Amino acid sequence: MKYLIEKFGKINTLVLFFCIIFLILELIGHRYGETSIEDILFFPAIFGFFSCLIIFVIAIILRPLLMKDEDYYDE
Amino acid sequence: MMNNFPPGFVMIIGALLIPFLPHILRQIYMLVLILISAYTLTLGFGIHTKITLMDIEFILFQSDLLTLPFAIIFHVAAVLNVIYGAHVKHWNQHIAIMSYSGAAIAAVHAGDLFTLFVWWEATAITSVFLILAGKTNRSYGAAFRYLIVQIGSGMFLLAGAILLMSESGNAEFGNFDINTLYGQLIFIAFGIKAAFPLLNGWLQDSYPEASEIGTVALSVFTTKLAVFCFAKSFAGTEILILIGVIMTFFPMFFAIIENDLRRVLTYCLNSQLGFMIVAIGIGTELAINGAVAHAIVHILYKGLLFMGIGAVLYRTSTCKASELGGLFKFMPITAICTIIGAVSLSAFPLFSGFVTKTLILSALGKEGLAFAYFMLLFSSAGVLIYSGIRVPFFAFFANESNIGSKEAPLNMIIAMIVASILCILIGILPSYFYEILPYQIQYQPYDFSHVVGQMQLLTFAAFAFICIWHFKIYPPELNSTILNSDWIYRKMIPGVLLSILNLINDINKKIEQFFEFLFISIKKFFANTMIKNKVFDREVGQDTLIVVQLFIILLILIFVWKIYL
Repeated sequence: MKYLIEKFGKINTLVLFFCIIFLILELIGHRYGETSIEDILFFPAIFGFFSCLIIFVIAIILRPLLMKDEDYYDE
Repeated sequence: MMNNFPPGFVMIIGALLIPFLPHILRQIYMLVLILISAYTLTLGFGIHTKITLMDIEFILFQSDLLTLPFAIIFHVAAVLNVIYGAHVKHWNQHIAIMSYSGAAIAAVHAGDLFTLFVWWEATAITSVFLILAGKTNRSYGAAFRYLIVQIGSGMFLLAGAILLMSESGNAEFGNFDINTLYGQLIFIAFGIKAAFPLLNGWLQDSYPEASEIGTVALSVFTTKLAVFCFAKSFAGTEILILIGVIMTFFPMFFAIIENDLRRVLTYCLNSQLGFMIVAIGIGTELAINGAVAHAIVHILYKGLLFMGIGAVLYRTSTCKASELGGLFKFMPITAICTIIGAVSLSAFPLFSGFVTKTLILSALGKEGLAFAYFMLLFSSAGVLIYSGIRVPFFAFFANESNIGSKEAPLNMIIAMIVASILCILIGILPSYFYEILPYQIQYQPYDFSHVVGQMQLLTFAAFAFICIWHFKIYPPELNSTILNSDWIYRKMIPGVLLSILNLINDINKKIEQFFEFLFISIKKFFANTMIKNKVFDREVGQDTLIVVQLFIILLILIFVWKIYL
């Protein structure tokens, strides 16, 4: 635990801790969703994680296209 | 008599006295104006004030189940704005905020399109002064563009109103059919103000250029007025679901690479408007309640976020992610309030965003709109990253910047704390909040599935962000301009027009050169073929000679034509 905090930081470890807690909670209770696909085990966790990655990848691809100098419109 | 004034009207008229009052008295006076305006809401539902001019009936004050929640939140927001801006001694922004808030409140209570048009344009004209209060060359330009777009939207509304009037004999502000021409014109008018995709450029262009108190006021009224209008006139219009879905995810990619934190928040505002538009497109009672509820809590938490970043801007003169960081130790209360706003925005359970987003998502699920449902879920994960984490992280934590600062002024702190408390209260007591919504519903946001599902989504999205940051995949924050749809009228159209003008200019020059050459050639030809500078023994100038010679040639040609043809 100490190693993890040192390596990963306090807040980050806390987030990781919560991630595990909510995964365990799903195993204890019965979670259902609005659609049948959501009944897959840990679906929201997988969806949340990959959504974030996809958004980053698209943003990084778009960055050179959309990013201009600060005074682009002032020229 | 006072009772018959539409809500907000007293704020607009009363605002005229603001310049003549000393500072403290002015602040109290503005709060009293808002209270008087709010008192008119006690009249109940129905048509309360109408006047007839030139045989046209103008319904100035109509209230119903839909107007009430918007009227309540607009009054609450107006009070928070007055408190938040209390440190500003000059009257100019106060008069703008008071009349702008009043115009938006009056617009909500309009019963016909002509009355709505008047208040619609009034919100544009009064709010532009808040952008001008930014007092930079950029804010002057942005204000000008903002005014053109807003007035333009009013023109669509007016055209729609006139068409409706000519077709049906009245211009009642009710439900409209998107398949009619007037319906489409009104739809575009509302769509511009609601910052639809590709019509949204004005939002990100203008709001971040306003003063710190101006942006807070702007974030409340204009776009939410448009949401109200859609809920009133286009509930259940299916195209809104598609537009709303695009709105929710389209601004995310811009927000994540944007450096100016207030601009990030305007992209986020745009995305959250998408949730409301989707809900209106569904049109069921649950969905309309979701849209109205989300508009209300969005005003609170987005106002809170703008207040927090506005306080940072006020103290440090910048709100760029690349220049900020480490402000938590200087501005802890501002930081905590901003985090509460961010947590509410991200829809964490026990905070306001959760109890409204679940309403919208449930409405989508019940209608079986799976694609829209997952896109909104995708945006829910996204909003945590690009706004919920990024804004407080880069302002108050992240890298240690050299910016020293002190805590925000007391009035700003009070406004932020009140907004924070409201965000939490709505989150923990949703049943009381649901009572002010247009339809009576039995809905329980706090069940095992909603809470665990939402927490998994958010914690794992946060974990992904942490991984990206920890493994240094996150791109550096740079001072930059991110291209948005305003590029179309700021760069593309002027560029195309300039090219066309240059082309016309070139063609014109070529034609001029051709005729000059032709004229000189004719001149030379005749000068060599006839007696030099003489017509019937009279000395004449060369030009006269040429005209006479052309006239003779013309006569010969007519003569030939008459004889042979």
